[in-house]
Amino acid sequence: MANKSVSKKAGTNKSFIDRMGGQQFIVLIIVIVMFIFFSAMSPGFRKYTTVVSILDYSYYIALMAIGVTFPLLTGGVDLSIGTGLICYSLIGGLLVRQHGMPVAVGMLVTILIGLIFGVINGCLVALMDLPPFLATLCTCMITRGFGAFVVGGYGIPWPAAGQEGGWFRSIFKIQMGGQNIPIGFLWIILLVVIMSFVLNHTKMGRYTRAIGSNKEATRLSGVNVKFYHVMAYVICGLFAGLAAIAYSAIFATVQPGSGAGFEMDAIGGAIVGGVSMSGAVGNVTGTLIGVFVICLLKTGLPFIGLTANWQQIITGFVLIIAVLIDIFKRKKESGQ
Amino acid sequence: MKKKVLAVLLGGCMVAGLLAGCGGGDTKTTDNGGDAAESDESSGGGDYHFEVVVKSFQSTYWQAAIQGIDAAKEELGVEVNTTGPNAESDIADQVNMLNNAISQKPDGIALAANDQNAVLDSLQDALDADIPVVCFDTGVPDAPEGSVIATIATDNEAAGAVAAENMYPVIKDAIANADGQVRIGEVNQDATSANISGRGMGFINKMKELIEADGKTVAVVGNQFYVDQVENNGDEGSADVIIEVAVPAQTTVELSATEASNIMNKDDTIAIFGSNQVTAEGVLTANQNLSVLAATPEEGIVGVGFDAGATLKAAVADGTLIGAVTQAPVDQGNLAIHALYDYCEGKEVEDIATDSYWYDAETMNDDNIAPNLYD
Repeated sequence: MANKSVSKKAGTNKSFIDRMGGQQFIVLIIVIVMFIFFSAMSPGFRKYTTVVSILDYSYYIALMAIGVTFPLLTGGVDLSIGTGLICYSLIGGLLVRQHGMPVAVGMLVTILIGLIFGVINGCLVALMDLPPFLATLCTCMITRGFGAFVVGGYGIPWPAAGQEGGWFRSIFKIQMGGQNIPIGFLWIILLVVIMSFVLNHTKMGRYTRAIGSNKEATRLSGVNVKFYHVMAYVICGLFAGLAAIAYSAIFATVQPGSGAGFEMDAIGGAIVGGVSMSGAVGNVTGTLIGVFVICLLKTGLPFIGLTANWQQIITGFVLIIAVLIDIFKRKKESGQ
Repeated sequence: MKKKVLAVLLGGCMVAGLLAGCGGGDTKTTDNGGDAAESDESSGGGDYHFEVVVKSFQSTYWQAAIQGIDAAKEELGVEVNTTGPNAESDIADQVNMLNNAISQKPDGIALAANDQNAVLDSLQDALDADIPVVCFDTGVPDAPEGSVIATIATDNEAAGAVAAENMYPVIKDAIANADGQVRIGEVNQDATSANISGRGMGFINKMKELIEADGKTVAVVGNQFYVDQVENNGDEGSADVIIEVAVPAQTTVELSATEASNIMNKDDTIAIFGSNQVTAEGVLTANQNLSVLAATPEEGIVGVGFDAGATLKAAVADGTLIGAVTQAPVDQGNLAIHALYDYCEGKEVEDIATDSYWYDAETMNDDNIAPNLYD
């Protein structure tokens, strides 16, 4: 069971696809093919503004997905990131809108509450041994209700571009020569690079995978398993907080009660990108590419005239295929 | 060890659940007892308990309605309990809430139904239990005979028509002088609730009527639910004007924005209408990247919204949208409670169609409009 990916890499008889990065490579090809397909099918899709829109709507999903990769690698999951994102953004936005605090403070609070819920999830799962699905399902409900409760049901509009405090929207998009430049993408790439480093070259990353691979063996080898297990959820919470900032910066109003289902786009993206639901296998670059499959389906299908319901049906099928590839690979590696 | 802890936790949860369940049951019984006693007295006095189920606590629209409900509560000295699901798409949740409200045996229920078919059984139950129901915001056309004593709603067909009537003069010349086909977009949040579909069809029918009166032909395309309701629909290939109707899979701003971008990206689009707050914000979100919304079809795409909210109000004020239609949520909430009260007092009640108003940058501060423009 252990070191599935490592043992394969050490092998000499690697196929071309494996040498190019395995599932990630296939998924990247799929993203490119999808992009070409939608562009060929719809004149509206092949516009620069559509590319900017796709990126705009991908930031919050990508950030959630980077974060949720860590709990997934431990063999767990975090279902609270979607409703959590809305909850954190509502509270941060409320401070800015109704209590006149600077936007920077609102953003910090947003991220901080994300961190706190990360700690809560981590403690429930790692210290109190609640099954991750159950623990985070509960915090999902709690954040959904809590956010709506704090703002009293009112939608919260973060300051618009041009208003006082609207500067934070240009973190993700700047105007240059009459065109929108989606600079948020650079931040996403930067974060992917950083988190890839954390995952592959630090104790944090190695132990995260080790927990997902064999928690008991990791504990017996003297690793403070509980700490690193909690930290996986804290990282996830931090990124849910960052996703909340991205969501607030792109969309005009944050509506309480929404957010359920966002986590499925993020988790789905991670799985399509090669992260295994049973832990240990996967990486952040794969997750990012997987997120773009989800986002392209979401944006592209309406453009070729299919109703948005098809997006959900097709995404479901794409996920089944991704999971089947994962199972097939593992069978092959275990020598069958 | 792990299993033991889990077992203890689960056990704890179950005990807590039992206790909570019993506790809840207890309070309910006493509540009912109290209410029954009160209603008995009330035949002379008027101390009623009403249950209100709104569509969601999600949009500020409902918060405005609740303001009206609270005002009526003060005026009449009645007890009102308001509930509602998280989102307007949570149809099953709302039916549950309605059933809970019925089981409380209140003196009356005010309901804003998310789905006009899903609530039919519950309305029959209310009728069997002799609980009068007032529908507000949204009517339930197929309600069991006698269950709904009055409907207090915007005439949504008329409200949609108001949007068309105010949009048409701006785009009239562009339609008359167009070389080829031109396109008008409409984004509707759903195809299940009576008010959204009424509003959507009101806009489509009025726009079609106005355009045809000027001698042009119209074809309605897009979402099947809406297209099927159009009488004498034209041919998509040869029509002078296409009205394209889009409905997102879920009621999120993002999915509404994707549907709106799709329409706004087409070269022949001259105007777009978002038929409620979420979809109108979707149009504005799409415009952040496209920057195509303008005051006239010559400069870009003419945008019209519906309802209010801070974002929409700002867009109308700065001219991004040429205007929007607002309803009277405060009045509706207020009138719903008044209707229930009057009914309990033995007075006649009847349906009330509340007004909807067109507002633009100049009229949005007028006395009859400003109170209904919630943030």
